[in-house]
This record gives sequence, C-alpha cells and structure tokens, in this order.
Amino acid sequence: MIMITMNKIENNHRINNESYRHLFVIIESINNEIIPASLEMLGEARRQMDHFNLKYKSNEKVIAIHLGQGIKDLSKDLISYGADAVIYADDPQLKYPINKIYTKIISQIVTNPHSLKEISPEYVSIFKKPRYMFFLADSIGRHLSSTVLAELDSGLASDINKLVISDLDIKHQHKTKGETIPYQKVLEMYRPDFSGFLWTTILCLDNKNPDIAKEFHPQACSIIPGAFQPCVKDTKRTGIICQFSPQFDEQDLKIKVVKQELVKNPVQFENYKIIVSFGRGIKEDPEANIKLVEKLAKILDAEIGISLPISKKIFHLSEKYDTIYITPNRVVGTSGRKVTPVIYIAVGISGAIQHLDGMKDSDFIIAINPDENSPIKDVCDVFIKGRMEDVIPVIIDELSKQSGQLKEKEIQVNTYGKL
Amino acid sequence: MKLEPDFSEGSVSYNPDGTLNRAETKSKLGAHSAIASLAAFYTKVKYGGYISVSSMGPPMAEIALQEAQLICDADELHLYSDRLFASADTLATAEVLQQGIKKMNTGKEMDIVFSGHRASDGETGQTGPQTAWKLGFTFLGNVIDFSVDLNNRFIRAKRLVALPGFYDIVEEIQAPLPVFIAIDPLYKPTFDTISLRLTSSRYLKEAKERAENYKTYLKVLDHKKLELDPRFVGLPGSPTIVHKVEKIPKARTTRTAELIEGYDREGIKNTITKILQLVQK
Repeated sequence: MIMITMNKIENNHRINNESYRHLFVIIESINNEIIPASLEMLGEARRQMDHFNLKYKSNEKVIAIHLGQGIKDLSKDLISYGADAVIYADDPQLKYPINKIYTKIISQIVTNPHSLKEISPEYVSIFKKPRYMFFLADSIGRHLSSTVLAELDSGLASDINKLVISDLDIKHQHKTKGETIPYQKVLEMYRPDFSGFLWTTILCLDNKNPDIAKEFHPQACSIIPGAFQPCVKDTKRTGIICQFSPQFDEQDLKIKVVKQELVKNPVQFENYKIIVSFGRGIKEDPEANIKLVEKLAKILDAEIGISLPISKKIFHLSEKYDTIYITPNRVVGTSGRKVTPVIYIAVGISGAIQHLDGMKDSDFIIAINPDENSPIKDVCDVFIKGRMEDVIPVIIDELSKQSGQLKEKEIQVNTYGKL
Repeated sequence: MKLEPDFSEGSVSYNPDGTLNRAETKSKLGAHSAIASLAAFYTKVKYGGYISVSSMGPPMAEIALQEAQLICDADELHLYSDRLFASADTLATAEVLQQGIKKMNTGKEMDIVFSGHRASDGETGQTGPQTAWKLGFTFLGNVIDFSVDLNNRFIRAKRLVALPGFYDIVEEIQAPLPVFIAIDPLYKPTFDTISLRLTSSRYLKEAKERAENYKTYLKVLDHKKLELDPRFVGLPGSPTIVHKVEKIPKARTTRTAELIEGYDREGIKNTITKILQLVQK
C-alpha cells in the first residue's frame, strides 16, 4: 500500500513539472492601437524564448494575449513583432480594460489547455498554467498583473528591467528547508530599487520544502516601458492566430466605463528647448532649493523635471510645491519620460542609470553637483562642481547680464488636480 | 494603510539577505496612506459611515495608525502583527489584509476599502489589487475623484490612467459596491458647502480626542486571532523571494565633461554664453 502511494506522489510531481509551458505576453492597446511598450515586451519575450529553446532543446512558444473590441486585425502585427501565436478575445464588453473582467478572461485563457489546441497540441493533455508571463508596468498592466497572479495563486515581480533564464542551486530556509536544491528554468527578474543604484533579483520558486510544499507557476513580472527594444517588424514571420470566446459573469457587466477622454500630459517636455531637472541634491533646504530651480527655469523658459526618487515624496514640502513638482509625470528616466531637449540641466542629480537613459540623448548636457564622482559626469558636456545653492545664483546673475532680451516668463502650471 | 519606512537620506537599512531592515529603518505613516486616510475621511463627512484603519507590521506600526486616526477620525484601528508575517511578499501580505478586513466592524462587510496608490517601501503597488481580488471586491486604481450613490449602492470614480510615452486617459467608471479603491496622489477632497465644512470640523475635533486615546480603539491581531494558516503567510506563504541585491553597473561613458569649479566665474560665464548660442539657433 505504502509503495503504491509513494509512486503516485512521484508520478504527480513529474506531471506537474511538465504542466507549465510557454511564455504568455499580455498585450495592451487603446483605440485599436497597440501600446508601443507592449511591442518592446514582445521583443524581449522573443529573445528570451529563442535562447530558452536553444538551451533546453525545446519548442516552447511566445504567446501574445490580446483583449479588446475590433482588435482582431492587430494580431498579424503581433506575429510580425515576434509572437509565435496570438490568442485574442474580441468583444464589445472588452472595449475598456476593466480590471475585474480582464482578469477573469485572461485567467480563463491561460488555464484552459484547449487554448493550446492549435498552438501546441502535444501539451494539451498536460498543460495547467503558463511557465512565464509578462505584463506591462503601466497603469493598466500593473494592476492587471497583480489581480491575475492573485487568481493564479503565484508570484509576481513588478517594474523589471532585466531578465535572465537560468538553472540555479537554491538554499533557502523556507523554500528548501535549508537544503541546497537545484531549480531549472528559473526566471531571474531584476528590479531597480527606488534610488536606481541597486538591482534586486526576485525569483518565484516552488516550495520544495515538504512541510509547505506548493508549486508556484507562472513566474510572472511587469516590465518597465522603455526597458527593452522591440524586434524589427518582419511581415514575413508566420504564426498561429486563435480566437477565444470569453464567458462573462453577469454581475461584472454592471461595472461600466461611462466616459473616456484621452488627455495630454500637462507636462509637455517636447515644447521646451531647455529642461532643468532636480534630484536629491535639494536635500539641505528642499523648498528653498526648488524655488531656486524654479527661478532658473523661468529665466531660461525651461520646463522642470525631477528624478525618480524625488517623486516618492521623500522631502516635506508645502502643499503648493508638492502638488506642482512632486508628480510622476515630471519624472525623467525610463520610469518616466525620455527627453531630448537642446539643453538639459541636471541639478543635484547623481545619475542612476534609469535617469541617464531618459536624458542622455539631449544635445547639450550640464550637471551641477558637488560630487565629482557622480555617474552623471560620464554623460554630460559641462560638469559644474559645486552646491546648487552656490552655483545657481551665479548662473542666474550671469544670465541676466548676458541676456537683456531674456525675460522671466510665467511658468505654466497645469496639474490634473482640477479636472 | 501601510507603515512605510522613512526614505529620507540615511535612514534606510538593509538586512544581509537584501530585505529591508525594518527594525533599524525609521517608520511613519506613508504619504500615500495619508491620502487614502483623507479619502476615507471625506467619505465619512459626506456620506457618514464607520471607518476602520488597518496595517500589517511590527508593534511600532501603531504610531502610523494613530497618525491615520488623526486624519480620518477612525472608529477602529487594526494592527496585524505577528512574527510569522515578517518578510511576506505581496501575495502573502494580501492574504493577511483580506482576512483582517473581513473582521473589521465585528465582521460586517465593508463597502469601500481605500489604499494608498503604492507604498514607496518595495514600491510594487501589488498588495492593494491582490487584497481586493482575494476579497472579491471590484478594484479601481488611480482614482482621482469619486462619488457614492448610496440608494443604488454604486460608486462613480474618475481614474487617471497613465500610459508612459503614449496617452494619458481620464476615465469615468461606475461599479456596484463593494469596491477597493487605490487612491491617486492627485486626489484632493473638497469640502465645498457650509454643512460639509461644519461636519468636517466636528469630526476633526473628535479625531483629535480619539487619537489621544488611540489605544482604546486599537485591536492587535496575530495569525491565530485572524484564523490564518501559518503556511499561507509570511515567508512560507510567499511565492517570491529576494535572491540577491547588487549594484547596478555604471552606464557607459558617452561624453567627456568639461569640469568647471563652482567658484570659477569665468567658466560659468562661458557656459552661459554657450547656452544662449544653442538656444538661439
């Protein structure tokens, strides 16, 4: 009796390990236009799975999942940009990405073996869940990834900008009960921390500790827009396109989008020749220093940007300054906006790589920073070594001397607060 | 509600395993949680209601709950505190929070849960939606404004959906209660009638008195009181682990900077000349 039971367990275990297949990529589109960052994510998925299939001599696919209304025709584009297969659900109820509805439909698709009937018939009998899943780390994908993974009861790493698939020996108090156990095909998900100087690698691992044994698949993440390059569009690429007929819960259809308006971001960096950005260097007297930056920007007719850490509200400011400047839409960098002005002035910004990626293509870059070893020095044309409190007044003074015609212009202050 | 480490300069400390050392990191009520408290207060002033504030964290997190009570005049404070909850990832945290929310107000179902947009601690923004999902509540994220139709038990919310490098979208959505709202940092309550202002100041006065005696409103719940299986919380219940923390390699040098000392007036003067030339081109 005992022997038979043990065999069963082993058998189940083996089958389970084979039940997780493919990389599923959740595509976003608005008004029948694919969000560009979705294609970046698809490009990275393609490269990862090409490498995976070569390394493990397998044939697992990149499967794009796309929900919406009137989106069927975009499927071909997704193939051209690297997907092996597309599963789309085209329905009036999917016109807007309503979290609850999208979560249920995506979960239906990725847990239904019949989704793979045409794509990989060899796995239909054993498939349970995806091996990997990619979402976009934007206002839609961040929440969607969270709820989908809560439904699938597995782990999620957010805001990732580097991925590696590898075999690892893991020793962990809980996961392996302190033993060293090999894990195969682990997705190492690299997440830059809030300062931009540290990478944390997140792994989603099965509990192999028998006391808490549990399998956690898919291994999923949300990906920072701008982190990866899309594949070059290749219209000769072929792939399988499948339609999925969604089943809705009546109760969920009571959730309705009554109005949708596309708005321009009130911070229009593109309209300015000069951008002045500030970072943690304002720390000695944050409010006074922001006023100094504000004054400089007025004289130069520049828009004001900030570094990512600043947007985390790490300084205490009056409500006015907090509302105007400490907003995500001013962040320059891969976690915010990429900018290419004629002149970029970085004040008190040390230069985390994500920030540099967002501004290094500007024509002329000036940094003001007391620390000569700051990484920003490696991407700028002029490095003024000094405290912003000392340097900016001199610059303002020189500016007014050299330029009679430059007048202080009122900075246009727009926020979404008054909608 | 979430107790956040104070990320001001120099007060962050990491454990050798790469997780945040919460014991050594100073804590306070997070800015995003404060906005969520404000939204709850507005709801109480405008529509009436019973407010419970909860947080998962070490015993000292009660200070953050007190701060929140001062903002929203909470009727009840919940602290989910247990060594077993430590170092939980978002899924394991959501498991604790949803169980706690079910026990609020002697187990009556809540109508609206407010959470901050995202905590800067870990900065994932996943816990809110995952808690909502486990509760079966409709999740509405990035909410910048909302109104409640009590008769029909509906909420109407304005959401700001930011798609970087693409569009921003302002969406109006309606959903039946109960809902879970992640409030956007841009949310601003307006007490624009005299009666709202009067009610607001009455509750604020009450909030002050309550916060002074916050311990009488405080319930500390561990995994037993929450009836949680230790296997599904904390590290054992976390699908994800922090594998390593490393420095991000420096970017490639793309330009050779001219170094000007801050006191070098002549150097700065030349830079300004260059700026003006470039702009006038």
